[in-house]
Amino acid sequence: MTPATTATPPRMVSATPPGGAADHPSVRALRDRFGDGVQRVARDAIGYPVVWIDPRLNADVLRFLRETPGQAYDFLADIMGAHAGVGAPIQVWYQLWSMAHGRQLRVACEVPLDELELDSVTDQWLTADWLERETWDMYGVAFRGHPDLRRILMPENYEEGFPLRKDFPLRGRFSRSTQVSRALSRDLVDIYAVEELEMAGYALTEDGEAAPPPEDGAGTAIRELDAGEKPEDALEGAPILINMGPQHPATHGVLRLVLQLDGERVVRCVPHIGYLHTGFEKTCEYREWNQCVPYTDRMDYLAPMLYNIGYAGAVEALLDVEITDRCRVVRVILGELNRILGHLLWLGTTAIDIGAFSVFLYTFQERERIYNLHEAYTGGRITTSVTRVGGMMADLPVGWTAAARDFAGTFPDTLDEVERLLSRNAIWQGRTMDIGVLGAGDAVSYGVTGPTLRASGVAYDVRKARPYLGYEEYDFDVPVGTAGDVYDRYLVRLEEMRQSVRIIEQALDRLPDGPINIDDYRIVLPPKGEAMGSIDTMISHFKLVMEGVRVPAGETWYSIESSKGELGFGIISDGGTKPVRCRFRGPSFVNIASLPELVRDELVADVVAINASLDVVLGEIDR
Amino acid sequence: MRTLDTLPAGVDAGGGEFDTGIPRNWMTTKLDYVINWARRNSLWPMPFGTACCAIEMMASAASKYDIGRFGMERMSFSPRQADLMIVAGRVTYKLAPVLRRVWDQMPQPKWCVSMGACASSGGMFDNYTIVQGIDTIVPVDVYVPGCPPRPEGLIYGLLMIQEKIKGESLADPRPRDESAAAVGRPNLPPETIELVAQPFGNSTNQNRMSGLAPTSALARARDRRERRLEHRD
Repeated sequence: MTPATTATPPRMVSATPPGGAADHPSVRALRDRFGDGVQRVARDAIGYPVVWIDPRLNADVLRFLRETPGQAYDFLADIMGAHAGVGAPIQVWYQLWSMAHGRQLRVACEVPLDELELDSVTDQWLTADWLERETWDMYGVAFRGHPDLRRILMPENYEEGFPLRKDFPLRGRFSRSTQVSRALSRDLVDIYAVEELEMAGYALTEDGEAAPPPEDGAGTAIRELDAGEKPEDALEGAPILINMGPQHPATHGVLRLVLQLDGERVVRCVPHIGYLHTGFEKTCEYREWNQCVPYTDRMDYLAPMLYNIGYAGAVEALLDVEITDRCRVVRVILGELNRILGHLLWLGTTAIDIGAFSVFLYTFQERERIYNLHEAYTGGRITTSVTRVGGMMADLPVGWTAAARDFAGTFPDTLDEVERLLSRNAIWQGRTMDIGVLGAGDAVSYGVTGPTLRASGVAYDVRKARPYLGYEEYDFDVPVGTAGDVYDRYLVRLEEMRQSVRIIEQALDRLPDGPINIDDYRIVLPPKGEAMGSIDTMISHFKLVMEGVRVPAGETWYSIESSKGELGFGIISDGGTKPVRCRFRGPSFVNIASLPELVRDELVADVVAINASLDVVLGEIDR
Repeated sequence: MRTLDTLPAGVDAGGGEFDTGIPRNWMTTKLDYVINWARRNSLWPMPFGTACCAIEMMASAASKYDIGRFGMERMSFSPRQADLMIVAGRVTYKLAPVLRRVWDQMPQPKWCVSMGACASSGGMFDNYTIVQGIDTIVPVDVYVPGCPPRPEGLIYGLLMIQEKIKGESLADPRPRDESAAAVGRPNLPPETIELVAQPFGNSTNQNRMSGLAPTSALARARDRRERRLEHRD
């Protein structure tokens, strides 16, 4: 018997517009300009072109694409590495978007293992700073000309290697007891970053390592007082360092900020991240496609379903399947509910940070109502794991839509109440207006997305720019700020919640009947009755349970609008049951990189407000 | 506890020096009882929240679940004014020294709740960066299972801590013993860390150490039989 694995032919609908990738104007221009520097042109699974270039030309190609008026790729969404297998070259992808032309393009190159070097593009995009550091940290690709190429997620003295390379074992190279004892035995000079030791006046050795402090304390910020000397005299001219975090109630997680102060003004801020680096990307390479879904909730635990939906969408793009109409609308409802869920947590915690406690209680009451909806559908409150490749874990339970409609109808009352408490409150305005201003140009260069970008006056929303899940059929507005300060970010998020309610109501009105999952039993589990009734379906069932979904070889960088910003999934498949690469472009990671610029010259008390206004979630920053 | 309206025979009231005009009510109790009563009903938690569990911990403190009902609403963000560390969420090797330092900074008496699967055993993250159970780093009193535990789960865990405090005695200082040499060191010897880091290692190990659930297949069968016999009596 031939291993027939499907009862019905799959419904394959191509998501790609007609016309080859080579006809794309940017591809033609690159060919004309760089000739053989363009090695090959491929196509992403969702249709836009991928230009593979000579790694020696990366900075020139990107500069051409950014600065040529007809190209104007001003937004660098992502830099990611990838490794196809032991001994293979490291791939580096640059994900570009042109705000002016509404075009997407990927520039990629393969860097040989014996010469792992690329030119840095930090002089072109500010966001490249952290993204290149991450690529260095995970793959060991050195970026020539990077101002500060240090590890970012792993400890700075991490000795086990580059974790995302294929020759790096999942559990690390050292034994568990060695890992524990090494982690605990790091002394102060090792734990604290070279940069901040330099700020504190510690000497640096020639190769940039931190030298131990001199015995007599000379040259350090802390020294013994001379007889009759007042403490303030001793501090004259010495930088004051404040270490905020990683265990701090107002950093929204285990973020660590080192602040250099002049009086109460912040002179310099150095964020340290990676205290919650969970190794999602590595772990997903060892899991089947559907087994990755539970990992996605735990990255953004403030709006988990948005991650579920984005991940499923990316894998479906690789599979080239079209989900059912009902599934599409259900995903929109759940996505918007979770946008509200994320914004509500932001609102409550930010209000606490600024000193208004009662708002926290109001928003958590509403969050509990959304949790009840989560629970009725999935059984979980936070970790929902609601999507499957090709559909959902189940259809909506009876009465769920009525409960959702009830929520959508009554929730805006709470919003009004919060608005009455805060929007015209003198203290709230004083703490937020003209604080942490981010200009539109800087915001784009920093790669900032989501409400933070829109508060700076850039109307970029993935739901409008590259509609997915049929968002083009819904009537909603994208609120945009003017001043780009903390107050505008607050107003934008408040308005987004109202717009989400509008979308939910429209989606509930149009929710079609019909199956929630596609009927291709190579991808989704068949209903139990059918699996028991026909041998073909039973074989599909068996193969799905024993092996998992097989995703055809290909690659995609697919993004959705999460509550924090543009959430990208860079996924590579080799045709097997597990991903080769599963990259998550967390918007918080990119947004928080702009913090040092935002807090410069602000008061130290405002650091809390500004950090809160970026709405970061550490699970997504550190991944 | 006994309350007396009148002084026992032979006890001198001590003149009028402390007379407050209130009828003299006397209460005799065990010192242990009154100390434990005070300790367990005003625990000051130090929330060491890192990930998803921290959100459920916040939900526990919010209006619906209201942890204040148990005398614990005074969240202490400074370890020096706390006596209960709630580790909520995954802990990485990069964060491990911070966790140990926060624990070392807390004064005795102190307790530790490990909230959620990641903190208790590494959970679904058996990889290069996650500590396979915080009990390799700090001693843990109560493990709360769940991913994340619901607020009810956390509150139940906190009630278990209260229950545990009830059983402590000043006569037995061992639980409060803390040697200076242990500061900043792993909580378990290397061979035990290797053992608990095996797949399913930590949960099995925790069961074994609790003494409540026999873990070998043979013991389990015999145990079940014996328990049946006990019930018959």
